[in-house]
Amino acid sequence: MPKTNVVVLDNGAGTIKAGIVPNDSTEEQSVKLVPNAIVRSKGDKATYFGHQIANCKDYSSLHYRLPFEKGFIVDWDAQKAIWDGIFSQEALGVDSTESSLILTEPYFNLPNIQEIYDQFVFEEYEFSSYHRCTPASLIPHGKLLGSPPPECMLVVDSGFSFTHVIPLINGNIVWSSIRRLDVGGKLLTNHLKELVSFRQWNMMEETYIMNHVKETCCYVSTDFKKDLESTRPIVQKYILPDMSTSRKGRLLRPRETIMDSEQVLLMKNERFSVPEIIFRLNQSGLPSAIAESIASLLEDIQPMFWENISLIGGNTKFPGFRERLFAELRFLAPMDCEVGIYESDDPVTEAYSSAKEFATKPEFHGHCLTRAEYLECGSSGARRKFRDWKTKIPSKETTMKDDGPQVQNASQRPRVRPRGVLLEGRGR
Amino acid sequence: MPPKRTREHLSRQVNDATSLVHAPELLEKRTQIHLDQLEKSNYNESASLAVGEDDDEPAVGKYNGKGRARQTLISDKINVKLAGNSPAATKKKSTMNIRSALLYRKNLATLIEESGIASLPPSAPSYLTAVASPPKYPPRLICSVCGYWGEYKCRKCAMPYCDLNCEGIHIETRCERRVL
Repeated sequence: MPKTNVVVLDNGAGTIKAGIVPNDSTEEQSVKLVPNAIVRSKGDKATYFGHQIANCKDYSSLHYRLPFEKGFIVDWDAQKAIWDGIFSQEALGVDSTESSLILTEPYFNLPNIQEIYDQFVFEEYEFSSYHRCTPASLIPHGKLLGSPPPECMLVVDSGFSFTHVIPLINGNIVWSSIRRLDVGGKLLTNHLKELVSFRQWNMMEETYIMNHVKETCCYVSTDFKKDLESTRPIVQKYILPDMSTSRKGRLLRPRETIMDSEQVLLMKNERFSVPEIIFRLNQSGLPSAIAESIASLLEDIQPMFWENISLIGGNTKFPGFRERLFAELRFLAPMDCEVGIYESDDPVTEAYSSAKEFATKPEFHGHCLTRAEYLECGSSGARRKFRDWKTKIPSKETTMKDDGPQVQNASQRPRVRPRGVLLEGRGR
Repeated sequence: MPPKRTREHLSRQVNDATSLVHAPELLEKRTQIHLDQLEKSNYNESASLAVGEDDDEPAVGKYNGKGRARQTLISDKINVKLAGNSPAATKKKSTMNIRSALLYRKNLATLIEESGIASLPPSAPSYLTAVASPPKYPPRLICSVCGYWGEYKCRKCAMPYCDLNCEGIHIETRCERRVL
């Protein structure tokens, strides 16, 4: 009897990471990165759904329709269309009635929205079972922090819509200590569009192109003051794509000359002042949000969190992100704490890889809600099975101190040296 | 003589427009509006018009308390083959829940209200309580024209600028002459 496939769908607001977990009968496929949007191209006069965007020829003035608004699904019509495309023969080619699903949801997902997730999975696609959780709760199953993972860890998830700081104890999220910053890739791209439109060419409608510019040219500076006052070596020229000859946009290489037909964007202080917003925004910045989150936990275990900070999410791919974060945190952390920041090889697919590991573990099926259970008791079955923030709502008084499980002394257990880059320092 | 001059001097100062001080709440509000604008998906339109949706015409006579239903669904327009026999794969009719989720789009503010998280006890963590706290340091001002340090502020609209050139550009192009 063939084993059921497990489909992993890391449903991000900007990109969906989708794939099938390989078992004995199927071979390994690489993860599919599907933009979570429906775009209409004025040049091509066509509409592209999700995975079809790769076929689009004319990227200028693309009109976007996003199912997500501020990090939550509001437009189910669009989301269903994109999911149809992903499950179809054109992409994954999976029979949902014979498969299990791992699906990710945003942190603090609203209960009314969670019910609709359940409805789509069981009533529309008729999956045989599924597990819905947040991306951070999958990270302990992966290889980012070694195996077995540390008991206390902090995940920084900076994605398209927002940035969260999530402490975990023994693989369980400490909901009352999560902190959120409403800065994400979308806001950074739009801010860059505004700056460039005011100073050079009008790019307000060119979301796709400016997103590529942001990913190519922007970096996080370790010393903002120094960089701002010495812009000479920082200037980069980005050659805009040419729609008529279908050339992609790219950076000007050194010693290359610009041709007359090419339009060039001059990237100066925008290169580092745009990602700077993550670190200094109206509401706090990322380093102080991390400090605040850790400060809200039990004093005895705080040092363990400072040592095990991991970064996931597309925004963490900016060059210099890790170094800058380390410098700021070293300043904020207590003198006798080590600060350890782990960065994965691919922050975008880290949650996906961890989900794949989770799916191969024997206890995975215990965490899944089956279709039979759903048809019998509806979304309340999901509420019981999936641990999330609602389980912490006190009807009896529970404080943070009684809450988490007991934490062992970490030095008593052997740990495999983790993959990923470790930065340490000791304050004196 | 000296007392009279002092009084005249004082009354002139009160009427001087250059000593206008902008209320921090106004500035805060303007920044918030700007941040909300940065959340838009597309520059040129209101949130209701989108790909695949028809122009605004409220369903006359069919108001049923849920608001306007969509006329056409974009998920019907995608032409892909799915394996299996779920309602998504075959052309079977979807359940009532699915159909209402597809037809009525609610925006996030409505969903937050409906979820009732605002009425939870203050110790319960939720989307609303998880925001990081406001900054302890004052904001670092950057010139709105060129991006260098913004050491001076426009008299009328309080946007920062760095030198006389940028001030000139700002007044010619972007100054709104009022804060909000």
